[in-house]
Amino acid sequence: MSTTDSCPSEANAAIGKMRGSEHGPKNIDVSALVDAEGGLIDRSIYTDPGIYDQEMRRIFARSWLFLAHASQFKKPGDFFTTFMGQDPVIVTMDKTKTIRAYLNSCRHRGMRLCRADAGATKMFTCTYHGWSFDLAGALQTVPNEKAYPEDFDKKQWGLIEVPRVAEYKGLLFGNWDKDAEDLEETLGDMRYYLDAMLDRDPEGTEVIGGVMKWELEGNWKLAAEQFATDWYHVNMSHASALMVMSPTGKGPKAEIVATPGRQFLSPNGHGAGFPTHPKSRFDAQAVHEHYDYDALRERLGDAAVEGPMTTGHATVFPSFSYLPVNGSIRIWHPKGPNKIEVWAWILVDKSMPEDVKDAQRLYNLRTFGPSGIFEADDGENWSEIQAVSGGFVTNSVPLNFQMGIGSEREDGVYPGQTSELYSDAAGRSFYRHWAELMNTPAWHERPAPAPAGESA
Amino acid sequence: MSEAINIGTIDDIDEGEAKVIPAEENGTGEDIAVFHAEDGNFYALDDTCTHETASLADGWIEGTEVECPVHSAKFCLKSGTALCMPATLAARTHKVEVSGNDVLLYPAVSVVDA
Repeated sequence: MSTTDSCPSEANAAIGKMRGSEHGPKNIDVSALVDAEGGLIDRSIYTDPGIYDQEMRRIFARSWLFLAHASQFKKPGDFFTTFMGQDPVIVTMDKTKTIRAYLNSCRHRGMRLCRADAGATKMFTCTYHGWSFDLAGALQTVPNEKAYPEDFDKKQWGLIEVPRVAEYKGLLFGNWDKDAEDLEETLGDMRYYLDAMLDRDPEGTEVIGGVMKWELEGNWKLAAEQFATDWYHVNMSHASALMVMSPTGKGPKAEIVATPGRQFLSPNGHGAGFPTHPKSRFDAQAVHEHYDYDALRERLGDAAVEGPMTTGHATVFPSFSYLPVNGSIRIWHPKGPNKIEVWAWILVDKSMPEDVKDAQRLYNLRTFGPSGIFEADDGENWSEIQAVSGGFVTNSVPLNFQMGIGSEREDGVYPGQTSELYSDAAGRSFYRHWAELMNTPAWHERPAPAPAGESA
Repeated sequence: MSEAINIGTIDDIDEGEAKVIPAEENGTGEDIAVFHAEDGNFYALDDTCTHETASLADGWIEGTEVECPVHSAKFCLKSGTALCMPATLAARTHKVEVSGNDVLLYPAVSVVDA
């Protein structure tokens, strides 16, 4: 399998073709809304429709966004439909086994081209008038083509392709910015924390079951930020779930609350937090028994095995998050300022026996599936925050991200800057990066040179 | 064994209520809460929740348990055991006796170890 990053395609000249420079939307300077040094966030960044629209242009249209897992594509024609921000995309494997992604909108009248969640196909044929595109995105057939003018050139009407698709150890990401920094560079030190989940097994990972999808009231950043930076809520929000999970009769354990741990923060907005313990383990008994922890120490290093390999949380900026202990990988699809669609996969090691995979699947569903005993607590919090945020006064009061200010340092054990487990450090860096992108024009805002031979 | 303190009569604390005996009066250095539980008996614990800083005397007494009014941690009034998150440490117990109509508190005399 390869991706388009090994044969990059050009950004399609059709994007923004009919818009003059005067048409551009007004951008909001968010400098005053994010005080990353002082740990203050203005609440309008979660609710303002203008901010949300700007996020679509300046965050989602230029960031590496999670698309799918490589194991979802085995043969040419396998496809999966998803979103990049609010842009619908088809991810598919072409005849050369290259993973490519296209805007899921017919070039003719804009109909959603592929209406299935996933499947296998030879061609993508629009159900409206029947324009049909092959796996390489080329327009192949146009019903009643003879009625079009002589200069109608099907080559000009192929699918709009996502110019960059890249894989990191089974995770496929796409980027609309053809000049974006490479995925691996963008991940930076975050790769170490990802590897603790993606590289336990020499055979790699795969996703099992389907994709679980559910809707929440709430801004996408509430979820992304929590997975980057927030262990703090665990003992309060999940108190009842922690009690259910504790061994019968043992009651509440001080080790859970007072656990030591670290929180990683990336200048590119990523974050990860994890307790650290010499006996860190997987919760699902069958999964725990499956692993040879000594071999894992050899493979990943002691620090990874004792820290981010098992219990913990993480976000790859902007909207991909995961929980290694139960293999939940998920994307927070923004659906307007007030709504999130969560899409969650269950990730397991390829070489796990079937019964171990199934044990992890069941543990995932019990804890962080759509009705999981932990997941429900989180969704409730985000929705309640959003539900009350419309009030004028409510919306005018800054939020506090001051825990652990000044605690960020290189600890000599974990790569990059880290803070304490209980800290808002990764949240502050998430919003610092967010604000930088929001205040910087993106690729589509730079005047494109007129393609040779084409008149305006 | 420390001296008993007469903290009042059984009618001074309604069932389901508690009374705080301040640190300077009980001599232990910590405020003590004396609870009149729903089983009719009197029990005493250190007043400050072992989780953060809240007065258990202000909490909700149900049966022979008290629920912290701030983060809902529960403690067994008889043994001081923390019964649920977010508390994980037991509260210190103090012996209480009823003599006639008088309620006698024995500060720092543990019920658990006795």
